[in-house]
Amino acid sequence: MRIICAVILLLPVLLAWIPGMSRTPLLGLPDAYWANLVKSFQEVSITLAATVVIAALITLILSYFSILYWAVGKAFRWILDIVESIPSILIALFCYAPVSVVLAKNPESASAALSLFVFIFAAVLTTLPESVRGITIPLSELYHRKYSISFRAYAFTKARILFILMRSRAMLDAIKRSCATILLKTLVLDCSFGFIIQIGMGSYGTPAHTSPGALIAANRDAIFAISANSARSPIMFWLPVILLIMVSLSFLVILSGKKEEAV
Amino acid sequence: MSEKSPIKLSGFSVRLGERLLFDVDSFEPKAGSSTVIIGQTGSGKSVLLKSIAGILPSGPFTIKGNIELKGIPTYVDGKKAGFKTWRAIRQSGIAFVPAETAQAVNPALTLDQNLNILAPEARDLVVERLKKYFSLDFSKYAGKYPDEASGGEMQRMTLIFLLSHKADVIFLDEPTVNLDRQLRKRFAEFLNSEILGKDGKTILMVSHDIDFIRLLNLDNIIALKDQKLVAMDKLPETEGMKKSEEEAQGEAGLVLKKLSQGYLVRSIFGERRTTAFTDLNVSFRPGHIYGITGPSGCGKTSMVRAILRLLDYSSGDIDLGGQNLIDLKPVERGYDPPEFKPYRKKIAIVQQDSRFSFFPDLKIRDSLREIHDVLSPETEFTLDGVKALMKKIQLPEATLDSYPQSLSSGENKRMDIVRVLDSRPEVILLDEPFAHIDFDTRALVMKAISEYLDESKAILIVVTHEEFDLKYFIQTAYDFPSIVKSAV
Repeated sequence: MRIICAVILLLPVLLAWIPGMSRTPLLGLPDAYWANLVKSFQEVSITLAATVVIAALITLILSYFSILYWAVGKAFRWILDIVESIPSILIALFCYAPVSVVLAKNPESASAALSLFVFIFAAVLTTLPESVRGITIPLSELYHRKYSISFRAYAFTKARILFILMRSRAMLDAIKRSCATILLKTLVLDCSFGFIIQIGMGSYGTPAHTSPGALIAANRDAIFAISANSARSPIMFWLPVILLIMVSLSFLVILSGKKEEAV
Repeated sequence: MSEKSPIKLSGFSVRLGERLLFDVDSFEPKAGSSTVIIGQTGSGKSVLLKSIAGILPSGPFTIKGNIELKGIPTYVDGKKAGFKTWRAIRQSGIAFVPAETAQAVNPALTLDQNLNILAPEARDLVVERLKKYFSLDFSKYAGKYPDEASGGEMQRMTLIFLLSHKADVIFLDEPTVNLDRQLRKRFAEFLNSEILGKDGKTILMVSHDIDFIRLLNLDNIIALKDQKLVAMDKLPETEGMKKSEEEAQGEAGLVLKKLSQGYLVRSIFGERRTTAFTDLNVSFRPGHIYGITGPSGCGKTSMVRAILRLLDYSSGDIDLGGQNLIDLKPVERGYDPPEFKPYRKKIAIVQQDSRFSFFPDLKIRDSLREIHDVLSPETEFTLDGVKALMKKIQLPEATLDSYPQSLSSGENKRMDIVRVLDSRPEVILLDEPFAHIDFDTRALVMKAISEYLDESKAILIVVTHEEFDLKYFIQTAYDFPSIVKSAV
């Protein structure tokens, strides 16, 4: 039931990939707006998918080696604590600063690709501290408090015990929760960053890729456009908001799993 | 006592696979009464308690019948009430004290933060009770994380946290498994003075610790026998096996000479080294049963881990068959140097919590195979020895096809002891081996271990808190603080 709910709530992202979707506006919305809306959900889905794959992979590697080698864990903890102390939006801005000239000089498609790459890098960086903590704490608990004595006494190496524990049901649940957290944080970062850039620079999103957050910001005054003659409808503001809430809820549905056993 | 009972079971039964754990026709303890349910290990006592408290995972169990808690139906025809109902019941004041109370705390939060979650309204009461009954100054622990306190300290603190939470229905699941003899007496004193029969609290406890139950002022004693609840007039007498009074003879096989053990603790300026114990001098002869006793946190478990060479900061001698194990393996880096590897097979341990002695997601049978393949790859894997030992201690063969999480603590413990005996080690270290096993079954397990010892002349060291073990099993007992120069 939970999976069905999550899939239904993820529909905005899935439907954006139906061929021809950007050319068939619904609800009488302007063609350009609709095309941008579909494009923004396509790009946000690329960002989310790429971020979750890269961040989850790095999280698993960092968590494993942090428990395996005490010094590695200590060093990474120090670095990730520093990263976490900086607001996510600032990290994204810092990441864009060195490539801003390149983005401005290159053609639109190359710029969009580079912009996506930079944003994914920033998103991975900002989500890592929490996701690594979400894996290392339960893994360390399983190893140090529960399985290390008996399994080390059976002559299993620490590396092998950690590998076994990483594949245990408890850790797979922790990894799943960690992925949902990465997705949620990335979505929030993408939209808030797009919102700020749109307000500050008037562009549809991060320097060169489209974001639903930017669409919301661009149409923020449409909520007052109640006259029948107005070219803009309040739905232009509310539609991306509702779709984003649906996508966020789907991640929360995944996150809320196993509640009963956690009581 | 005309008040309506807060707990009401009718036609309630639970099955684990095909096996019927219990079938309760009717159970309705009086409001404000205190009841203990006793029974053999694996009889389903904890499952019954968890069902009533609403924390039984639905997965492996088939549930039928009805339960009402505080007048609210929580199981109707085997169907559990929804989250909202349980939240309302929890908010109205129920407390569940699990067997491993350390599970109730969040390892990522300090003890102070944990207290603010578990019993935010009772901070002063917690501080007062810890001092009065367990001689613990909470201010010294408030800023620490759970892994910085010893198992015994955590058990005491979490027991008081959970029992100080405002609740009028309290469930206790084997609350004494990690408490030493002295602490059990103090805990009984605390329950008698502050909890049992006080403020209309209804108490439901499951325990196999007859000696502890004897200390309590309880209203009802009920046995879970042959899947039914049976009221009892008095507690059964405890009887164990007759132990041999023979003196230890022959040459010492394992000698600990001037053994000191340190460990790291977290502090404001990073980690600092502290001492578990220093100058431990003791020797153990083969074929004799040695007991190590002492208060929680005095260093007994550290001694066991030092012998296993799973700790850094050991100094002195651990002499096994003329070889100093510390020289062979001075530090623990997560693997064994080649020269130490033969000793892994020679030394075996049954750790305190045997649920973690098997692979979490494998059947016991498959776990045993994996362990054998690492420990003795040169021999062929067979279950013949395991099955013979299981028969001796009345552990059904079906246990081999179970997952660790579907077995009770006592069944896991017995399976772990079978594993150790079947691996035929030269040194057996048992850390609280019988804490989860009822007294009748305990006698059978003790007999199986004694027979192995007579036959193999292995060295056996038992770390225990239990009066029963000292009376019926241990031949020579050492009080740990008296054989070391200084312990924490």
